[in-house]
Amino acid sequence: MTRVTDSSWKLTDAQLRAWLSGLLDGNSVVAPVEEDGVLLFRPIASAHQAVIKPSGKTRWSPKEFLFPRSEALYRYSFKGGTVQLEDPPVPEKHQVLFGVRSCDASGLVRLDEIFLSGTTDRLYSARRENTTVVSTACAAADQECFCTAVGYSPVGEEGSDVQLVPMDEGWLLRVLTDKGRDLVGDSAEGWKAATAKDGKRLPELEKKVSKQIERSPVNREWSKVLEEGFEHGAWDRLAQHCLGCSVCAYVCPSCSCFDMNHEANAWCGEQCRSWDACTFPLFTHHASGHNPRETKQERYRQRVLHKFAFREEDDEPFRCVGCGRCVALCPAGLDIVNTVAAAVEAIREEGADAAR
Amino acid sequence: MPLAEAIANPYQPSLVRIHDFSDETPDVRTLRLQFVDDNEAGGFAGWEPGQFGQFTVFGAGESVFALANAPWRPNGDQKSVPTIECTFRMVGKVTSALRAMSKGQVIGFRGPYGNHFPVEDWKGKDLVFIGGGIGMAALRSAMLDVINRKSEYGDILILNGARSVGDMVYTDEMPGWQEVDGVKVVRTVDPGGETESWDGEVGLLPNVFEGLGLDPENRIVIACGPPIMLHYLFLSLGKVGYSPDQVVTTLENKMKCGIGHCGRCYVGPFSVCRDGPVVTWAELNELPKDY
Amino acid sequence: MTEANVTAAQSGTGSVPENWQPHIVALVCNWCSYAGADMAGTTRLEYPANVRMVRFPCTGRMSPLMILRAFEQGADGVLVSGCHPGDCHYVQGNLVARRRFTIFRSLMDFIGIDLKRLHFAWVSAAEGHKWAKVVSEVTASVQEAGPLPSFDHPEGWDGIDLPEMAGSGPQELDEDQLNAIRDNLRKAASEVLTGGRAGSVIGYGPGSLANQTIPLFITEAADCEKLEWGQGCRNNLSTYVGSALDKHERVAVVAKTCDLGAISGLIREGQLRREQLVVIGVQCPGVRDGPGLATKCLSCSGDPHPICDLVVTVDGVRESCEDPSAAALDTPDARDEQIAYLETLPHDERWKYWQRQFGRCLRCYACRAACPLCYCSTCITDKHRPQWVPTSIDHPGNSTWNIIRAVHLAGRCSGCDECARVCPADIRLDLINRKLSLEVERQYGKIGLDPEKKSALVDFRMEDSEEFIL
Repeated sequence: MTRVTDSSWKLTDAQLRAWLSGLLDGNSVVAPVEEDGVLLFRPIASAHQAVIKPSGKTRWSPKEFLFPRSEALYRYSFKGGTVQLEDPPVPEKHQVLFGVRSCDASGLVRLDEIFLSGTTDRLYSARRENTTVVSTACAAADQECFCTAVGYSPVGEEGSDVQLVPMDEGWLLRVLTDKGRDLVGDSAEGWKAATAKDGKRLPELEKKVSKQIERSPVNREWSKVLEEGFEHGAWDRLAQHCLGCSVCAYVCPSCSCFDMNHEANAWCGEQCRSWDACTFPLFTHHASGHNPRETKQERYRQRVLHKFAFREEDDEPFRCVGCGRCVALCPAGLDIVNTVAAAVEAIREEGADAAR
Repeated sequence: MPLAEAIANPYQPSLVRIHDFSDETPDVRTLRLQFVDDNEAGGFAGWEPGQFGQFTVFGAGESVFALANAPWRPNGDQKSVPTIECTFRMVGKVTSALRAMSKGQVIGFRGPYGNHFPVEDWKGKDLVFIGGGIGMAALRSAMLDVINRKSEYGDILILNGARSVGDMVYTDEMPGWQEVDGVKVVRTVDPGGETESWDGEVGLLPNVFEGLGLDPENRIVIACGPPIMLHYLFLSLGKVGYSPDQVVTTLENKMKCGIGHCGRCYVGPFSVCRDGPVVTWAELNELPKDY
Repeated sequence: MTEANVTAAQSGTGSVPENWQPHIVALVCNWCSYAGADMAGTTRLEYPANVRMVRFPCTGRMSPLMILRAFEQGADGVLVSGCHPGDCHYVQGNLVARRRFTIFRSLMDFIGIDLKRLHFAWVSAAEGHKWAKVVSEVTASVQEAGPLPSFDHPEGWDGIDLPEMAGSGPQELDEDQLNAIRDNLRKAASEVLTGGRAGSVIGYGPGSLANQTIPLFITEAADCEKLEWGQGCRNNLSTYVGSALDKHERVAVVAKTCDLGAISGLIREGQLRREQLVVIGVQCPGVRDGPGLATKCLSCSGDPHPICDLVVTVDGVRESCEDPSAAALDTPDARDEQIAYLETLPHDERWKYWQRQFGRCLRCYACRAACPLCYCSTCITDKHRPQWVPTSIDHPGNSTWNIIRAVHLAGRCSGCDECARVCPADIRLDLINRKLSLEVERQYGKIGLDPEKKSALVDFRMEDSEEFIL
């Protein structure tokens, strides 16, 4: 990703809308819209449908536009004693994800680390190639936000091609990558060039939002403590009230686990991939009846450690990007950061092997 | 879009035909499969023992089985057709549907996936293969590979345990294995699992192994079986003086994608389908007890 | 599918092609209707060929899930046919089914399926003529209804505005009063533990966000100081009672009045015994949902119900424990107006409303996890031999899931609204469940909080209404 920070402009609200309107020509544009009181990412047909605000997250992340909730991996039909296989078409129309918060943009990069590493996922990779991300930095934190506590930032550039920064009036638009530059194209004519003073807005916002987030940072060394304390009894009581649904995983910008099932009839079928979550009881249930994670506490422990531990290198970021949606939406009020802190405290105080 | 066109669909299987099968027990069957398309057969030639495949029953689903035949070693014979053998127990939706299939029918195959047994590193050493029940299926490709090249290896002992005589697999093949000089097969059933005509050992695998009194020096133990058996076996191995680096096993876990993406088979940071399934006891000790 | 049908399906609600023929699936019972259809055949009666039959042992075996599956797989209409009441080969299968079909039919109507598509009949083995007549009528009816509307996001639809829900809610409690209740609750809980009345107290503790609490499991009396009380006490704690009883002989649970229906339901269905519980009812200020009170609170007084063992108010704690058979739980529901409004809309508007809602469903199953009465060890969605509920997270599968869960709760749902609260997609599950409660009440009466009374859909009367059955 090439950083092109000298391509920055100041736009009025009207200019931003006009640019957004122009993007609809030739692209599928996905932006936050309000539907039945819920703020969600949806493809838009006109610029005025989009809700672009200085702060405030959508109910869940835009990851479904790279990693759909369900999709066919391949199709087949039964013909003449054998089977005919067919690849689904790769998505071809260029897609613009518009109004993606910094945490969500980072979440998309966490998804890249799964789907584009080792064996490349064909459908994901096609979608990713064909997507440009226009992110919005945050002027304020939501109640549940804690990005700065886990090493992320309200003005973070990770995963973004064009960054919109809310100013007192209007927006600062910063091209961050070649893809972003292509997206802006000729539209910049008529836009006012940004000044160095405008650029100061970024550290300003970072400082302001950090202050709003009243959470102690999650220390990077805690990953090792969590791993060593895998068998500690604290996990039993910390997740007693977990209900075993998957709201946390599904609204999470960086969760990417999926299930594969055949949906078929007597003539044809498809191998269908759908979102799945490690919090479900059947996730690791073997056909033999054995389940390595028999209890919901063991499953919750897995989720926490996957987000905050089990990193291959010490300098890798946490997989949790700090959006806080799991905290706000958990039916039982589980708080992943509090859980991590409490587990670390218990493991340190009582020793890694303290029994349940 | 040029990039996407160049990337193959990792999930589309190759078509393989059921060439033949044999029933090891009333619920365990070994399939012999051949590629429908010769080009795909050619591409499959380079797999190693310990790897696995995802087998698709169209309309039902996919299931993971170890590749159970000896790997295809190029020997100048261009006519030999790469086949795939796998041994499976009928236990759920996919395996029941697979069990109901007949010769000539077509299923799907994706693979080979995973890492493999380091058979080259074992050259010159004495080998003990310990298979519990259907765990033998995970060992078979390595066993056949080293038996086929016996001159390059030391003594080979195959210790096979099962709950009862009726649960033993590969019984027809074992006499053939023992015909090779330096290969010995010891079979045992759990107490209560013997029949009147049983001429093998009676006792739990770890106990029988200890009873053999084998010196750990220059020996590798390769063990596959149910978790409980492995647990007690490792205790025995430790007692007798084997170091964790001398013991190899395979991890089994629920798998779907086979390529490290779906997240299901992770044990801590270790993805069984991508980083395993073959692990040493030493590597296993580094992982959380999440399997 | 025929070309014409495919075209019709793809064009959505556009014009119906000239030669379109409805696809109708008939679920028929083996002993009566299947034989009756056979008789129609042997007596050479002519009737339309649009119907494909699926043979069942009994209408009692026909789950609404199967009717839904027919629609989800492309049927334009479904006919269900069985033995006449009193003639069932299995004695009472059709009598239980009759209630099930009544409720299911009203739900399908509510979500926008024109009832011209869904028919029920009693056809006996001797009634070959009736079978031919029923099939002719049903085919004509489905032909009139047209192709089934697609399970899809309604593009370019502006949505509808439901009427505001009215109600003042419980009496307002100021901070001092709430603190007093909280202190009384802490004292009551502590005494329950020290007095050995229960081994554990399930209550509400402080959460990490404003107005949020978390379920707390207290076994030491000193920890009762952690108990909280206020508008953030939203969970229905009866969800946790079952697992708590695995560890303790008796469990105390803090209960709002809206939580009690679930407790009665669990007792009624044999999941726990009354003696295993100490129910601590608490005076409730209503629970918060966004900027205001939750809908369920609007018509509630907040007073703790006398069937609880202990009643905690501003004034103190008292023993209670009224006989539940005498308990009345007669609160008007603020949602009834919204339900009535939806029922004034034409079917295609209703269909769009619900398809937009179901389209947001993520299949996170939070609704199931939070519901105290969803306690099946293996949920129908997790059964894969066969896979009844499609695994794909899209409109057909989501519609099937949400509808069948509502049907499984019909007559049992306590109206605690936890499902709607926890849904991250804000799907109005409360409206669906309330609609079914209303229908059950209308047809079969109320059972209130009495665990001795049977819930409507596991019961039947010979004289149950069947005016819609052909």
